[in-house]
Amino acid sequence: MSLQLNDLSLRVDAVVHLDGVSARFERGRLTTVIGRTLAGKTTLMRGIAGLQRLDRGALQLDGRNFSALPAWRRDIAMVYQQFINYPHLNVFENVAFPLRRKGLSDAAIGKRVRGVLDKVGLGGFDARRPAQLSGGQQQRVALARALAREAGILMLDEPLVNLDYKLREQLRGEFRSLLADQTDTIVLYNTTEPAEAMLLGDAVLVMHEGRILQAGTPPDVFDRPAFMQVAAVVNDPPMNFIQGRKQAHGIELTGGVRIGLPAHLSRLATGDYWFGIRASELRFGSNCLNGRVTFSEVSGSETFLYVDTVAGALTAQVEGVHIHALGDSVSIDIPADRLFAFEIGGSCCLVGAPATGAQA
Amino acid sequence: MTGFFTFLKYLAIALWSAFVVTPFLWALTTSFKTANGITGGPTYLPWLQYEPSLNGWKSLFGAGGGIDIVAPYIDSLIVTGSASLISIVLGTLAAYGLSRFTYRAGFVKNEDLIFFFISQRIMPPIVLAIPFFLMLKWLDLLDSKLGLILVYVALLLPIAVWIMVDFFNNVPRQIDEMAMLDGCTPIEAFLRVVLPNSLPGIIVAGMFCLIFGWNDFFFAFTLTFTDTQLLPVAVVALNSSVTPWWSLSASALISVAPLLLVAFVVERFLSRGNLAGAIR
Amino acid sequence: MGETGLRPYKLAFLLPGLLTLLAIILFPLLFTVRVSASGWDAVTPELSWVGGRNYAALWADIRFWQSLARLGGMAVGTVLIQYVLGFALALLVWHDVKARRLFRLLFLIPMMTTPVIMSVIWRTIFHESLGPANDLLGLIGLGPYQWLTSGGWAVVSVMIVEIWQWTPFMFLLLLAGLISLPREPFLAASIDGAGPLRTFFNVTFPLMATVSIGAVMIRLIEASKLMETVYVLTSGGPGTATETSGYYIYIKGLRDFDIGYAASLSMTYLVIMIVLLTLVGKLLHRALVGGRA
Repeated sequence: MSLQLNDLSLRVDAVVHLDGVSARFERGRLTTVIGRTLAGKTTLMRGIAGLQRLDRGALQLDGRNFSALPAWRRDIAMVYQQFINYPHLNVFENVAFPLRRKGLSDAAIGKRVRGVLDKVGLGGFDARRPAQLSGGQQQRVALARALAREAGILMLDEPLVNLDYKLREQLRGEFRSLLADQTDTIVLYNTTEPAEAMLLGDAVLVMHEGRILQAGTPPDVFDRPAFMQVAAVVNDPPMNFIQGRKQAHGIELTGGVRIGLPAHLSRLATGDYWFGIRASELRFGSNCLNGRVTFSEVSGSETFLYVDTVAGALTAQVEGVHIHALGDSVSIDIPADRLFAFEIGGSCCLVGAPATGAQA
Repeated sequence: MTGFFTFLKYLAIALWSAFVVTPFLWALTTSFKTANGITGGPTYLPWLQYEPSLNGWKSLFGAGGGIDIVAPYIDSLIVTGSASLISIVLGTLAAYGLSRFTYRAGFVKNEDLIFFFISQRIMPPIVLAIPFFLMLKWLDLLDSKLGLILVYVALLLPIAVWIMVDFFNNVPRQIDEMAMLDGCTPIEAFLRVVLPNSLPGIIVAGMFCLIFGWNDFFFAFTLTFTDTQLLPVAVVALNSSVTPWWSLSASALISVAPLLLVAFVVERFLSRGNLAGAIR
Repeated sequence: MGETGLRPYKLAFLLPGLLTLLAIILFPLLFTVRVSASGWDAVTPELSWVGGRNYAALWADIRFWQSLARLGGMAVGTVLIQYVLGFALALLVWHDVKARRLFRLLFLIPMMTTPVIMSVIWRTIFHESLGPANDLLGLIGLGPYQWLTSGGWAVVSVMIVEIWQWTPFMFLLLLAGLISLPREPFLAASIDGAGPLRTFFNVTFPLMATVSIGAVMIRLIEASKLMETVYVLTSGGPGTATETSGYYIYIKGLRDFDIGYAASLSMTYLVIMIVLLTLVGKLLHRALVGGRA
């Protein structure tokens, strides 16, 4: 079973929500759709679900066009980011709701609902009402209802975004195993967080301003981001970009900083490029770049440093806890062998990427 | 200082309470009077200032040349109840449509439709009274309950729409969507999911329809005469110098009594915070 | 919401109510327009055609314009007083009052009663010699007043009755609004040391802007139809002292049977009301809320 999207487009007033989106999803695979807010992820899902009319485009399931089908006849289950449950029904009836619409027998419903509730960790919650549950539990109910349907397509629109950090981490792990079970279903999962996209997806779709920038496996997208915008979205903290000029034997970055020419970029034509370096790959060093700390944040066992340098404002993610006061001077090293290079102008596509298999 | 303010607060409340209660108390005590209790000037306390009697109340049921209050009561119940029911059903449906869907016919949009419904309330009764009279006459529905029900539906439907549109706007749209994805057509989504969560709004709308319907005077006055008579008309017809004050007071009191029940319901909703969504 | 296959449902929801309303209202409205251009009166009860003659006569009809002015004064006056009183009452029984639910119930009651029926009772109250109004006021050395027989006092009597009847309506809407207000701004104000007056003007009143406008507009719309109280209490008098436009049109149409003329009065009255009320609505909105309605 496969879901095929062809040239989905939507434009409202002056805003382009979807711009010629085409993609193919296979049964049994989980595709994460990653992009900033307003990239079009939610619009895409609503379009597939039939909740949003599109200007043009075709939707096909196994070759059969279903664009004309109203939402209630499509075999699609969805989990929203706001915990949507039916307030007037208890947990059992909430999960059973779609099954009753389908006409299953009471016995079959009972069996399936209890099974799913156990799976999501809500066994015994049958008689409670959604209003009596915590946010995480409410979302589990929503997920249980979506799973119980055994629908052909399952879509989750940033389901964890309204939960607190710890809960998010915990549920992320649970989702992974729950969703991995869905071998018969096409699963789509929206997120803005690279960690989620990389962890959950068999495939990743990167969206930006209504277009799909890149589709591929997580390593593909991570190691070889096709465009600058992809690299920005797929890294957390976002990748640092510095303009620079590739010369015969070196790279000169904005502000006059010179670094050596790495092997993977040696065959680039001489000229100006955007050079990208991940926050986690910047090092403290003494020979490259001097800057002043503008902000510092310790998170867990890492420190995020925001540094102003002649080459621009950079973000560094450093292992360990380093205390720096505002205004402190630091020296940053840019390891040339970890540099990405993107074209300046046009679509900023990738022209050079470091070897894979290296750190972080 | 706060003690003084508290005193003022309770004084203000007491003063207004006295003002509210005055007409009822006066009517109550007057309803037990006879001619002696009135002609010499106003009296207030039974047995001390006048001899109480049940003449006023007895006259309600036809005794001693009084009026029959039972028939108008029943007529009012039937007409107001039916018109309110119809208005709520049609009004809730229309309000749901206006809340959830986008309508466009030429340049007419949702807000215009809502304004159209609400603007019906601006219509002074007089503008419609004569044509309604002629229309009912033509349909042979003058002086009939059915004719009056039709007219009342036109008056109460806007109220139902007004209150319910606002209410539905406060019910998250995603619930409807979820229901549709789960296999409900829009009508099923409305009936199974939105409606059960809208009961407070419907009750408030119902209360207001009942209030405005029961209390109408003008249309009942111009469109009914003998076969059908609603309470307000019956009571006002007594407002001549011929009818003794005690009958007048008794019939007035008994006519407004039912709506006190409505007051109870509305107060409960108010204090429970359900009204915030329905009235804005 | 998405539009795939929704069309029949959209219509199914809206049309029953809309068409019913149109069916019942449209004919009368169009008919009134047609009648206003006819010479239908007691002498010639038929649908003739006189063009704009009724409207021309209307222009010179001082009594009509006076009734409008009178109506405007009474409506605005009563609504303002109802607003101030209603707000005060709502504030009084909002927090920390013993038996506040009882008082809330009590304060609601007048609006539930049938206005004309209560007017019948008020008429006995305002009776100059047999009614308690003058009697009780006399106890504290005031009056006696000619409640229903003097022009000025008749207006006051009507206004008193209206205020008694409809302040609860304002009270209800405003109290519902107050109850639904978020707590944070008030906490912030009390932390900043604001007293009750400052809190009211800087926090409560601005937060209640939309509710206030809604309540005032609804009351204005209803008050502009003032007729029944006048009918029962004063019959428009003494003379024309309390004659509102609604009452005047009633006299012309259903007592004098000058139906054509009454129809033209009705249409003019309707148009003026719609224009004025829309204007007032927009003005209020801009003044209290700012920006577009």
